[in-house]
Amino acid sequence: MRESEEQTQLRGVLRDFFGATPRGFDKALWARMAGEIGVQGLAIPEEYGGAGFSFADLAVALEEAGRALAGGPLLSTVVLAGYTLLLSDDKAACRQHLPAIAAGTRTATVAGFGGGELTATREAGGWFGDGHADFVLDGAGADLILLAARTGAGTGLFACEAGAPGLARQARTVLDGTRPQALVTLRHTPLTPIGEPGAAEAVVERVLDIGRAALAAEQAGGSAHALDATVSYVTQRHQFGRPIGSFQAVQHRLADLLVEIEAARSAAAYAASCVAGPPEEVAGPPEEVAGPPEEVAPPPEEVAPPPEEVAGPPEELAVAAAAAQVVCSETFRRAAEEYVQLHGGIGFTWEHPAHLYLRRARSAQVLFGTADDHRARLGALLGLTEHIT
Amino acid sequence: MESDEFRAKARAWLATVARPRPADGGWGTGEDSVAVFENWSAEEERAHTERIREWERLRFDQGWGALGWPAEFGGRDLPAYFEQLYRAEEAAFDVPRRTEIFPVTQQLVAPAVRIWGTPEQQRRWIGPMLRTDLLACQLFSETEAGSDLAAVRTRAVRDGGRWILNGHKVWTSGARVADWGVAVCRTDPAARKHAGITVFLVRMDAPGLGVRPIRQMTGGASFNEVYLDDVAVPDTDRLGPAGEGWRVTLSVLAAERLDSGSLGLANADRALALARNLGRPLTGGEVERAADLFVRTLVQRLIGRRVTEALVAGREPGAEASVGKLYATETMRRTSDLVVRLLGPRAVADTGEWGTFAWTEHLMGAPGYRIAGGTDEIQRNILAERVLGLPRDPSR
Ligand SMILES: Cc1cc2nc3c(=O)[nH]c(=O)nc-3n(C[C@H](O)[C@H](O)[C@H](O)COP(=O)(O)OP(=O)(O)OC[C@H]3O[C@@H](n4cnc5c(N)ncnc54)[C@H](O)[C@@H]3O)c2cc1C
Repeated sequence: MRESEEQTQLRGVLRDFFGATPRGFDKALWARMAGEIGVQGLAIPEEYGGAGFSFADLAVALEEAGRALAGGPLLSTVVLAGYTLLLSDDKAACRQHLPAIAAGTRTATVAGFGGGELTATREAGGWFGDGHADFVLDGAGADLILLAARTGAGTGLFACEAGAPGLARQARTVLDGTRPQALVTLRHTPLTPIGEPGAAEAVVERVLDIGRAALAAEQAGGSAHALDATVSYVTQRHQFGRPIGSFQAVQHRLADLLVEIEAARSAAAYAASCVAGPPEEVAGPPEEVAGPPEEVAPPPEEVAPPPEEVAGPPEELAVAAAAAQVVCSETFRRAAEEYVQLHGGIGFTWEHPAHLYLRRARSAQVLFGTADDHRARLGALLGLTEHIT
Repeated sequence: MESDEFRAKARAWLATVARPRPADGGWGTGEDSVAVFENWSAEEERAHTERIREWERLRFDQGWGALGWPAEFGGRDLPAYFEQLYRAEEAAFDVPRRTEIFPVTQQLVAPAVRIWGTPEQQRRWIGPMLRTDLLACQLFSETEAGSDLAAVRTRAVRDGGRWILNGHKVWTSGARVADWGVAVCRTDPAARKHAGITVFLVRMDAPGLGVRPIRQMTGGASFNEVYLDDVAVPDTDRLGPAGEGWRVTLSVLAAERLDSGSLGLANADRALALARNLGRPLTGGEVERAADLFVRTLVQRLIGRRVTEALVAGREPGAEASVGKLYATETMRRTSDLVVRLLGPRAVADTGEWGTFAWTEHLMGAPGYRIAGGTDEIQRNILAERVLGLPRDPSR
């Protein structure tokens, strides 16, 4: 999990890039991000126009985006939609959509993953979708929406183009303006199936776990920014004739935050390493791609007494992603609140960026399930629930 | 050597010398002690220490100890993290659990001798310490010098080729079984606080040295008072230059923080096993707490790995290791919290049932590590000033 030289380099380039660009989405910026640095295509295989690096490399970009609250629809386009396509096993769909994503000419998102009332039916003219999905990330702006919809044969994945007839998108007023959400409604909207309808449930679950790992990287980055900015402020700001950072009450709070952030970084990096090695393997069976980096850290089933007998082997990525969310959500919340608090009055102003981080932290806490949801999932994965000896 | 190959070989070797632990820790059978500090009598402490020693010697003699040390000290010159790999394998076998004096000797004192010792001292001490033929305790703290360790008053006065030590040390873990004590002494009272310090290795059976056990809050005595009355120490047992003892001390303290990263993990794992074997469904709240504890064990191991990787990369993790210690002591506290929740009345009144009241040793022992080896508050000071670079507190 140690950072490679290339990753450190990428981190530096992105920190400069995001540091010099406005927050939120900007089409020109999105294109520059793809053209100058190739962020969107980092983890997309070369055959689909990407650079073919690993998710761990993409996670570096996400961490830096999270640090600056930049990157626009990176999470929705590259992570959620990108991995949905890659995991769908539908090569034609990958060929059709991924090159434009990698090139930064199109954005995309997913809808109906983990909630929503979407159905798809096959008629003479092809597939048509009905129903709605709420809280769709970047749903109003995305050029392409990948839907998980109920079909007669189970859940299926479908592509829906931005201008499709019967598609309505209502932007929600959101707490975190850098991360728009929308209510997406379909009325007899033509859809293109991706992969075999009926087999999408596993893909959806896995994409959500990858989303959790990606979010964890962003949260770790956001937390790190909050700590850095606060450390530099309390070092300069004087009260009672001394820097406020020399007061032990302040020092210990920041030391505790540092401990949490180290934990968050570790958990996020581990989750990222569980997503996949080279992206070509992404579409392989989960057991293969989720291989834990067991040379150095004993995988959970070895470090904890083995839960196999009671629950079957826990899925590595599912465990790592849930653990990362439990840790990173709370860490970012705390970091953002300390960011505000230790800046005093100035930290409570609209002009100061601290509130933007608190907005992001709060909205991230519920994005792919709450910490309690993740704990419950872990409980099941670890054999702690429904078990009596 | 590849790590997979190493692990397989370690496993194979362990299987020839130790019994594997049954799956899920052999729930309900065997040893149920989760003591953090042992409550042994002097005889029990000696007997247990001997058992652990035998194991450590076997390990050393067969090439599975001192993994990261060069061959001249009986080691195998492997990267630092191989020790972790080995421990992960060893955890699956029923081998004696090491008491504090063992890591103190092998992970704290021996490396300090390597950094500060003369070639003669290195030959005389390091091998035997790694093989645990010699055990060493830390004669650091005094009643007036705890967190503020540089305030030590134990005096060492030069007398020709030797030094005469007088003073009083407290909280010395393992003093009853140690062969040597690493004593932090004041040799120049006129010099600035940190400048007048020198470190010596003192024979624990030297005339004038007395050990008196202190009963700790767990009920037993694993630490002691040590009196030094005109104890003569040859100059050849001085570790590092006279007046440079503070730097020597810091080497030991840094190693101690590094070594604390894995504290509490075994008991946290065990608390999770308890959660699985409770014999009743867990409440939602219990599941959440247990899941949280699992997450902590996962993250604590990952943090340990980052520290090890820093070592492998040739960086001194130094102050960052305080992160690991703070994280570990919090894991220990949360383990207590979960266990009390799970066991209810059986955690506080002994029904004789296996693996229940035994947890009181963890409950009462865990707070000790928030004090030993530099308190939680001192670790935070270190992080604030040395890692975050915050302005110094003018009062310190
Ligand atoms: C189980 C156990 C084993 C031990 N084993 C050994 C051993 O083998 N050898 C050895 O030499 N010592 C040993 N010690 C001693 C240990 O190192 C000291 O107890 C510790 O450093 C604290 O010193 P003190 O007890 O004098 O407490 P004090 O330093 O008086 O601290 C009391 C309280 O004040 C706080 N405090 C002090 N200074 C500051 C500050 N600057 N900022 C904020 N808070 C502060 C502390 O955190 C603590 O909460 C052991 C202790 C324990 C509990």
